[in-house]
Amino acid sequence: MASRINPKFSEELKKYGSVNFNACYNCGTCTAVCSLSTTDDSFPREMVRLSALGLENEIKESLKPWECYYCGECTTHCPQTANPGELMMSLRRWLTAQYDWTGLSGLFYKYLPAFLTAMALVLAGVLLFANSVNGELEKMLHFGHLFERTAIATVFVVIFIPNLLRMWYFTVVKPGGKVPLKTYFTALGELFVHMFTQKRAKECDDNHFRWLEHLILVFAYLLLLFTTVFLNWFSTGNLFVIILGYLESAFIFIITVDFVKDRIQKKKTLSKNSGPSDWFFVIWLLLMGLTAFLVRLFIDLNILEGNKWLYLFHITVLAQWALLIVPFGKWTHFLYRSFAMYFVKIKSVYPAQ
Amino acid sequence: MKERIGVYICHCGGNISDYVDVERVRQAVENDRGVVLAKTTVFACSDSNQNDMVDDIKKHNLDGVIVASCSPKLHLATFRSVTERGDLNKYTYVHTNIREQASWAHSDDKIGATEKAILLVKAAIAKSRYAEPLYPNQFEAEKTIAVIGAGISGMKAAVSLSDKNTSVILIEKENKVGGHTATWGPLAMSDEKGSDLSHRIYSDLLQRDNVTVLTGSEVISSKGSIGNFTLKVRKRAQQAGDPVETMEFNVGSVVVATGFDPYLPKAGEFGFSSYENVITLPDFKHLIDSFSGKYLEYRGKRINRIAYIYCVGSRQVDGENRYCSRYCCTSVIHAAIQAKKKFKEIYNFHFNRGIRTYGKQELLYAESLQQGDIYLQSFEDAPPQVYAENGKTKVKIKDVLTKEKELEIEADLVVLVTGMVPRADNSIGTMFKLPKGRDKFFNEVHMKLRPVETVIDGITIAGTCQGPKNIVESVNSALSAAAKSYSYISKGMLETEPIVAEVNTDLCAWCGKCAEACPFDAIGQKDVNGKQVAVINNSVCKGCGMCAPVCPPDAINLINYSSEEIMSMIEQLAGG
Ligand SMILES: Cc1cc2nc3c(=O)[nH]c(=O)nc-3n(C[C@H](O)[C@H](O)[C@H](O)COP(=O)(O)OP(=O)(O)OC[C@H]3O[C@@H](n4cnc5c(N)ncnc54)[C@H](O)[C@@H]3O)c2cc1C
Ligand code: SF4
Ligand code: SF4
Ligand code: SF4
Ligand code: SF4
Repeated sequence: MASRINPKFSEELKKYGSVNFNACYNCGTCTAVCSLSTTDDSFPREMVRLSALGLENEIKESLKPWECYYCGECTTHCPQTANPGELMMSLRRWLTAQYDWTGLSGLFYKYLPAFLTAMALVLAGVLLFANSVNGELEKMLHFGHLFERTAIATVFVVIFIPNLLRMWYFTVVKPGGKVPLKTYFTALGELFVHMFTQKRAKECDDNHFRWLEHLILVFAYLLLLFTTVFLNWFSTGNLFVIILGYLESAFIFIITVDFVKDRIQKKKTLSKNSGPSDWFFVIWLLLMGLTAFLVRLFIDLNILEGNKWLYLFHITVLAQWALLIVPFGKWTHFLYRSFAMYFVKIKSVYPAQ
Repeated sequence: MKERIGVYICHCGGNISDYVDVERVRQAVENDRGVVLAKTTVFACSDSNQNDMVDDIKKHNLDGVIVASCSPKLHLATFRSVTERGDLNKYTYVHTNIREQASWAHSDDKIGATEKAILLVKAAIAKSRYAEPLYPNQFEAEKTIAVIGAGISGMKAAVSLSDKNTSVILIEKENKVGGHTATWGPLAMSDEKGSDLSHRIYSDLLQRDNVTVLTGSEVISSKGSIGNFTLKVRKRAQQAGDPVETMEFNVGSVVVATGFDPYLPKAGEFGFSSYENVITLPDFKHLIDSFSGKYLEYRGKRINRIAYIYCVGSRQVDGENRYCSRYCCTSVIHAAIQAKKKFKEIYNFHFNRGIRTYGKQELLYAESLQQGDIYLQSFEDAPPQVYAENGKTKVKIKDVLTKEKELEIEADLVVLVTGMVPRADNSIGTMFKLPKGRDKFFNEVHMKLRPVETVIDGITIAGTCQGPKNIVESVNSALSAAAKSYSYISKGMLETEPIVAEVNTDLCAWCGKCAEACPFDAIGQKDVNGKQVAVINNSVCKGCGMCAPVCPPDAINLINYSSEEIMSMIEQLAGG
């Protein structure tokens, strides 16, 4: 069956932030300069082409957008200024929306007002909650800790697991691969290596410092999550845990400040076209690190009681992060990318048909 | 018969003397009959040797000169003028080539090369004995120039000629001028309307006293040759009741600018005439120019998706039209942009074989991409297919840009991007005997160096009658053809080479075989003392020699290449 071309797809993709990719005249320069593209697994031209033709099924089946780490080399060298790097980014947003069964990801990417409304609702929820406990710090801290644990578990079970299953269905099952069960286990290593190291990003030329920053950020973030949720950082008396938490949150906000600076200066290709989702992601991460640091500091200085607003601020940032940005925003890229590498590995070993 | 011949044998630096023993050659010929002087020289073409030759001619009272050196293409003219400087007629000079023909050809056999050189020089001496003084044919030229075809090319040629000191007769077959250009709306790149452009030039022409524009008129016959053509022109009745006029004009040169025909697809070619929504590019241009409304409609149906199929009738692998029509990529992309700008919800799909928007036209390609047009490409062996399914017209292709994946669209309109073909009506070509190239358009003498001249002296070609061109290129060639045509007659007098055929009327019995053989139509028939004989038109004859060998009683000689001359040369070459 011949595939149907859909020229309206580019209009849809524009809402996800694509810029000028229609200008592509298929010279292939981008693929040639991309240090991650290989002969058997080549991109980004192919993705630019599929996007221009609007072949949604083929794009949905593809894992290539996740293989790109947005070094921006392709965009720098494209003779038509078709911005292939930004197209790969938009495809990742679009794919996220496809994987998400709730449809909220797509809604938030495409309509900023919807996202802002959701953020406001979360803020209202936090205020209502504070009101319902008469602003008692003790209770707020208690509930805050409880909230963290339930939120993580719920997002995982209700959003991530079904979405990952959908991703697996679209990219592995539907294209018709018969994968022996064993492969899923043998390839598992790939998943964790990529999840924690983003090792492929290192293969991008001239990108090592950024890769290092990113690596530290991931570790600091995951450890802070662990420290607050399981080691109960805000209530603990253990000096080691206290210092650990300080370090982690400091790292988070220092690195994110650098990322924000890049996006403001727009010097690097990848920070030239920042969408709202990119801004919310780094700023909220920065705020998380900063407010967590301050909350603990205020506790240690014994002045939090007089500055409850700080905790409220922290818990609002946290709730917005955990309920909106993590499940429906850019955070998921981290998850999908790791699984994409896992699926790529699986697809590369299943018996050829 | 020459009796005082001077022979110069050149070393050409070493190019000749490294392989040919030039001194032996000199010795071998110095005592030949009629040779009074035989010299070798290191560079025959050097200034000092040229001066020596002039002195020798005078001092030794030479009546014939021979240089054995390089190719006549290089230095025939040089030594002819040396001869003239020595007060001899330049046609008494004989050139022989012992470089390309002896030393270079036989560098592996020095003795053989030397012997061949000796024979070549001996043959030249034999020829030289007969070489007669000759004088170029001179005649008066008409200072009027005819331009046939009043498309953009013909009109621009006429404007350019009228700026010079000449009268112009512009002859157009149709009742209106402008050719195809006058039928176009906005044009690619400039966006000026073709009709406006054509009108502007026509108004200019009408202001000029020395230009006569004849519309509805055709040249029905032509007699004569460069400098003096007599054209018979028939002007159709413009209104019922008008008489048909026949006029005669004497002109010195003719610019042919009869243009092209758009390719008409065969029935069934990409669905043409099978489906009513398959049309040609000219039709499509006329449609978008004339249709007003928010949405484009064709035969009452709303048009959103348009498929353009490129290279229809051009770049054929099996067909006759191997060439690229040059204008069409640009023109169709421009039309697609126009359509999208003018009407709502237009989606363009270009089924191409590689885009050829050369030069500045590339900007249009970029614009079309940016507005979201989709380009699909295949090679000649797998063209796109147009077919109908459930009452819809569809186009499918194995797109080479998408790993040869089979892709399809439903098209509301299919536009066949038809190329240019030579005019079906070849009356002008036949009348002037204009040769055609492989592509069947009129052929120039040399595609790079003599791009608007034809082998028929006095006839130039302008615009698309010579091959596909856009307007810029058509006008370029028209201006150049006008300049060339004018240069033929600008002096009022014309000179032609004296080396032409000559009829011995005593021997000729008018069998007509020579006239059949002559590729330039230079041979006619006339009555001499009550007898029919062949007669050569000296201003048309090119001295090619085709007529001489076919004449049964051997009545035709080519001046400077008479049978005696050639036979005596052959005798020498065969070893005396
Ligand atoms: C669909 C289409 C779109 C185009 N769009 C563009 C564009 O956007 N921009 C551009 O630069 N070019 C364009 N072109 C090309 C352009 O039309 C040609 O370059 C131009 O028309 C060539 O002019 P011409 O005078 O050589 O030939 P023609 O336009 O063919 O004119 C020849 C003239 O000679 C006359 N004639 C023919 N035979 C005789 C005879 N025996 N006796 C007397 N008169 C005779 C004809 O009636 C005609 O008037 C387009 C062409 C096509 C087909
Ligand atoms: S470099 Fe630009 S024009 Fe070339 S294929 Fe890539 S995106 Fe297209
Ligand atoms: S941004 Fe970098 S990794 Fe991504 S496709 Fe372009 S060159 Fe490759
Ligand atoms: S100009 Fe373009 S459409 Fe026309 S023949 Fe050449 S390649 Fe084909
Ligand atoms: S020499 Fe050639 S051109 Fe002249 S009359 Fe003979 S055949 Fe014709």
